[in-house]
Amino acid sequence: MIRIANAQLWVHDQEEALAFYTEKVGMEVRADVTLPEMDDFRWLTVGPPGQEDVSIVLMAIPGAPVMDEETAAQVRELMGKGFAGTVFLTTEDCHASYEELTARGVEFSEAPEERPYGIDSGFRDPSGNSIRLTEVRLPAEV
Amino acid sequence: MAFVPPARHLLRARDLADARYFEPLGVDDLAASAGLSRAHFSREFKRAFGESPHAYLLTRRLERAAALLRTTDRSVADICLSVGLQSIGSFTTSFTRTYERSPTAYRAEHPPASQAALVPGCLVRAYTRPQHRTFREDRPTTSA
Repeated sequence: MIRIANAQLWVHDQEEALAFYTEKVGMEVRADVTLPEMDDFRWLTVGPPGQEDVSIVLMAIPGAPVMDEETAAQVRELMGKGFAGTVFLTTEDCHASYEELTARGVEFSEAPEERPYGIDSGFRDPSGNSIRLTEVRLPAEV
Repeated sequence: MAFVPPARHLLRARDLADARYFEPLGVDDLAASAGLSRAHFSREFKRAFGESPHAYLLTRRLERAAALLRTTDRSVADICLSVGLQSIGSFTTSFTRTYERSPTAYRAEHPPASQAALVPGCLVRAYTRPQHRTFREDRPTTSA
């Protein structure tokens, strides 16, 4: 059976992203290792407490020769414009999670709103990546 | 409003410990989330789950710290703070009492985090591929 293990998100600064996803969003560090033999590549993953088997890789944009400078600049630009990726999170209680994250300093671009599929809200990480936070309505209620 | 069994409030407090252990959370906060006085909450929690809320919260933090010792190369002090504990001294004492070895010794007994992390082969290949060099570039122009 194929399952999702990790999904990668480009970040402009791993330390800042780490602080954001742990201290503000409330995720935990799954792996954080720096490998000298890989030119100090840092493998950094986070995930929500209680969901051990899925994590987000917070990936720094590499330099040459892994990624040429022009491409790296394009990725940075797309990321800054908010088109480099989205993470879709779900919660049992969108309003409660909104209050909790707001209290920790997350600035929501969209406060919880009723949608046909549930209650949806959204914010951005420091790199500009879009994060959705949705309370999905049970199919029976739709 | 529907009837909620009393244990549901205690479970809410335990869920809070599991989800927000990394914050400076204490038994008072857990009691507040259950809507009970601290003394009453501690007694009821222990009756429902067999251990005190203080013990539950501390062992959750120790369990998370042990995971970080295995899966990251961060310092013990850093790990202590990132599981919501403030004092490195009492963290080391509690950890050693619980795991019968110090955080450093615990880490040394496990495979290095770089092995546990299982960095994908595609990244290893991308990051270890050397920069192409020609003969002319062989010697650096500035002396080391």
